[in-house]
Amino acid sequence: MSAAVMPAAAPTERVESSSGEAEIAYVSYGGEQHLPLVMSLVDAELSEPYSIFTYRYFVYLWPQLTFLIHRKAFDAKEGKCVGTVVCKMGEHRGAFRGYIAMLVVLKAYRGRGIATELVTRSIRVMMESGCEEVTLEAEVTNKGALALYGRLGFIRAKRLYRYYLNGVDAFRLKLLFPRLDLGLPPMMMGDERDDQLIDSPYL
Amino acid sequence: MDPKMDSGIERSGYYSIEEAIEDGIAPVPLSLDRTLDIQRTLDVIDHLFSCEATWHKGHTLAQTVFTCIYLMKMERISSHAVLNSFCRILRATCNAVVAVVSTARTHEEEDLFTMSFGLPLKDEGDDKCLSVLNSVEETVSRQLRACKSHALSKRKTLEGLESLQDNPDVEEGYCRALLCRLRFRKHFHHVVTCLRRPHGRGLDLARKHVASCLSELSLMLKSQEFLKSQSNITLQQGDESCTTASGCRPFGFDVSLNSRLMSAAPPRAVKILTWSDALGYFEKLLRDLDVICSLSLDPVLENVLHFIAQFQKSVPDLVPRAFLQTLLVQDGKLYGRDLFCDVISRALSLPDIIGDKEFQMNEFVVQLGQLVINLLKILCTNTAWQRRKLGKSLQDWSTISIQLELALKREFGETRNVLDHENMCMRVSKQLLVWTQEQTYWVASRFLILGFELDLYSPSEYCMVYWYMHVVFIKLIEKMQLRILASNENGSARRKGKKKKDHSKDSARDAAFSSSCLLLQCYVLLSEGLSMLLAVLRNEGKSFLLPTIFNTEQERFLQHFDLLQKARIPEHITYYSFKESAAQAHMADVMKYNFFKEIQKIIPSLKGSFASEPEKLAELRQIEQVAEHNRIALNIINSVGVGDPSLRVSFEFTHHPHFAVAVVKRS
Repeated sequence: MSAAVMPAAAPTERVESSSGEAEIAYVSYGGEQHLPLVMSLVDAELSEPYSIFTYRYFVYLWPQLTFLIHRKAFDAKEGKCVGTVVCKMGEHRGAFRGYIAMLVVLKAYRGRGIATELVTRSIRVMMESGCEEVTLEAEVTNKGALALYGRLGFIRAKRLYRYYLNGVDAFRLKLLFPRLDLGLPPMMMGDERDDQLIDSPYL
Repeated sequence: MDPKMDSGIERSGYYSIEEAIEDGIAPVPLSLDRTLDIQRTLDVIDHLFSCEATWHKGHTLAQTVFTCIYLMKMERISSHAVLNSFCRILRATCNAVVAVVSTARTHEEEDLFTMSFGLPLKDEGDDKCLSVLNSVEETVSRQLRACKSHALSKRKTLEGLESLQDNPDVEEGYCRALLCRLRFRKHFHHVVTCLRRPHGRGLDLARKHVASCLSELSLMLKSQEFLKSQSNITLQQGDESCTTASGCRPFGFDVSLNSRLMSAAPPRAVKILTWSDALGYFEKLLRDLDVICSLSLDPVLENVLHFIAQFQKSVPDLVPRAFLQTLLVQDGKLYGRDLFCDVISRALSLPDIIGDKEFQMNEFVVQLGQLVINLLKILCTNTAWQRRKLGKSLQDWSTISIQLELALKREFGETRNVLDHENMCMRVSKQLLVWTQEQTYWVASRFLILGFELDLYSPSEYCMVYWYMHVVFIKLIEKMQLRILASNENGSARRKGKKKKDHSKDSARDAAFSSSCLLLQCYVLLSEGLSMLLAVLRNEGKSFLLPTIFNTEQERFLQHFDLLQKARIPEHITYYSFKESAAQAHMADVMKYNFFKEIQKIIPSLKGSFASEPEKLAELRQIEQVAEHNRIALNIINSVGVGDPSLRVSFEFTHHPHFAVAVVKRS
């Protein structure tokens, strides 16, 4: 997606794709009707097996953190879900932390920044909800995911040996939001912040 | 586990072992045709071999070795001498290996390895497994000799009841195939037993058995051609999935029976390694065990730490690492022999206090002993786990340093007029403090460099990582030199009346220290050089910039070095120290200080010092390469101009696992 500032997330947003032929719509999780869409995407594309109980746990407790992407072809009666992100947030060892559980975009729709946009929306909600950090796990071989999250400021905090059922290691990725309580006088804080090349509309 | 929980669960349809047996899944004998019987027996043996390797790689016994119905119900095969003896010794070996890994208690993610609840892992008759196997081995060996003499005399019938099967043309092939497999089991069992009793000639014996195992392994591989030629070609699986030498699926295994019995095991069937991969695994395992057998039981801690770090470079699996750990720490002593307080006093170069009760009972010495035990155990775990634990231990090391310092100040203050005894106590305490600080920085440096091995840093973070590394290495050198200084002071106090040979021992030790310091100096120069180069590329070349959408470089610095910062390793180092240092990096300075050229001055003398240590020499060569490539890259960047838009610089770990080489391209 372009670097243009996105307006606050409405339940549905329409965005022109580069070809102009079909619309891609971002949808916030609206209820049970979205659950099969999320499940079929994740089952098809991700390596780990999840049960329906897993999906329900996330989308019932944190519907505001689940986003889907619909592709509405003009000549089709039904839309098709081409991407989704599923997350949660909560207290973890004294810190309020967001967690990205699943992120999927259908193969044919990759390379257009859809995943980045999905993740960015979730992270924004987490930040606005007061999370101090965001975390997730990704296979060490998943170069695409590692690059995506690296660009958003995640570091590889830990390596988890043989984390997945297929024996592959994982990285625990973590994004730490800036804190204002760094123990410095406000003047100095202000100077430091100005020095940083922050081009983000989210800060 | 309810199948709905996991769509990948396989179900065989049998609800119990008895049902499977009734259905003829595991017949005894495996065939009434004796040739088919030995073929199928060998397939069972081979598949068990593949299962064993799969188990070692981090799965449960229930889903690997104990998918064998023959093993689950051994009373059924007591009449089948070959299968019975094989299964018995396999079970005894597995039991022994489980014991070692349980003792090591690494709590790594491979907790699955030791799970054996509900499995018949032990039986009363198992302590006689070797003699049972020996008698079968002898029989088959006699048979093989008979075959050879038959071949010479061209007789066409097999005499005696001890033949494996009835076709004289292939008896020799089957004897050979079986013999090497039985002997491999025997020698492997001996390896496991000897490694658990290392004292005396334990390690030497283990080493001999390791060599025997390796030669039996190569005979097993040789037997594959014969076994494949004898088996039914329509029954053979493709190479990518066959778990036996013959290529045939084995009789008597069911993957899902145990998953009903044991709810704790993950529900999915495990992919068993192919037979050739299993051979590869055991070969590596044996080579790793061979390295462990070369442990000289050296009581010098520094050498022990170096040995473990070197051993870990070959990425050993859980089993050899568990063996090493149990060898190093037994009954709270080093090698089950040396008290850790004595190990520490030796490290302080204070031989007079070895065995001193007051020293042994000192609360700091006791705590430090425990820290050293934990450190040795942590260093034997897989590197991912190891790094996390090393990071967490930094707080413990730092805390004890601070307490030592406070105790020193409290007890001795600044007074100069002290009694002889107090003088001695003060010196010991000071040395203990310096040594503790040195170990702390060693742990910190290992924590940082493991990050490279685990690929935890992205290129835009190399600058801060190398910067922190150079700071830690500098402190490590400082503490090391303080320790050498203190030990020399001690040495001169004791030297009055010492014999000549002790002097040479001291000077040899001093030489070793100074070459260790020089090596660390190389690390400092490499780290500082790389950090400055990366800073310049960012400041003046606008490359390796960090993304700043949700956070800034400060947050990433805090996250990467959180554990070090919390433990104040080192003190007064903050993100702002780094930021200032990086902001002041300019091309002109990098060229002026030319860290990479400085390294090239140090290396020749180091090569001389390490002449008898091939591993250290190998690393020196790597460092030399890194320094040279970076020096050239630096010159190119300088001559082209660091701000030149056609310049593309990337960093690769082509020569050394921790120190990158700058690769310059022009587009």
